[in-house]
Amino acid sequence: MSRRESGTRLSLGKTVNGTTPGDRVLFILLLIISFSGMVFIKEVLPQSKDVTIEVEGKLTYRYPLDTDRRVQVESPCGHLTLEIKDKKARVTGASCPNRLCELQGWISRGVIICLPSRIIITVGGPEESKDREVDAITG
Amino acid sequence: MQLQDKYRIAILSAYALALHGFESLIPMPIPWIRVGLANIITVTTFILFGFRAAMMVTLVRVFIASLLTGSFLGPGFILSLGGGVSGILAMGFVLSLFPGLFGPVGLSLIGALFHNLAQLFLAYILFIQKIEPVLIITPVLMLIGTVTGLVNGLVADLLVKGLKNSEVSIQNTPQ
Repeated sequence: MSRRESGTRLSLGKTVNGTTPGDRVLFILLLIISFSGMVFIKEVLPQSKDVTIEVEGKLTYRYPLDTDRRVQVESPCGHLTLEIKDKKARVTGASCPNRLCELQGWISRGVIICLPSRIIITVGGPEESKDREVDAITG
Repeated sequence: MQLQDKYRIAILSAYALALHGFESLIPMPIPWIRVGLANIITVTTFILFGFRAAMMVTLVRVFIASLLTGSFLGPGFILSLGGGVSGILAMGFVLSLFPGLFGPVGLSLIGALFHNLAQLFLAYILFIQKIEPVLIITPVLMLIGTVTGLVNGLVADLLVKGLKNSEVSIQNTPQ
């Protein structure tokens, strides 16, 4: 290793200190742009204000998230009650044994899946999901 | 192109390919995120030997890596090629427009940024054709690219200094 012998030792600290002001400004600028981009895009993207309910992979109900209501959802394998209130949704009164869907509580965005009843409830989500197709349903 | 340049490009491409291969062994939480270790060689080549050599090294790496992994002319290949070429083009433009403003780290950051933007653009045009998922992923990729670009740039900076210090530099490889 002739590097050590040939004088100036390499160090990460020196390299960091040796960056030009342009480097540092660019780095900080890129960080700011990407962080603000993440926040901005989340806000700006058209959010679907719907609650969709899929029973056995088929879209059966679609309700706006704005109006409060209670819906009884039936499937061949079970039933549950969906409650929409204050732009949030939750599941109550599920027929499944462990009631995981109820434990999820109020959600304003996301998915509640009741596997035993084969009911999928999607809240919010991108606009695109209207033409989403289920790849395969196993059972 | 001189014979010596060909040797340099061959050796640097071999290094880039080795890093490229090594990188695929590192497990990543999300499959399409890459550290871009090979870009260390790209940036080093760009600083030591200029735009043309860096472009050659990248082209050789992308083509041979895709031939080795069997993804030649596949989607991954197109994205790699587009990203790699535009990263170097951006670095070349920035260096010729503002010489001295950016060091290796800045150039690496610019390369990473344009690499990602070109890939997103290509993915949007060719494969996804929906603007929402591209918009959601753009800032995330930019952030990752900034961090990996910084690390790659620092390593490339160390490498450039090491090669310049050392008697045994790539310049003195077999002639």
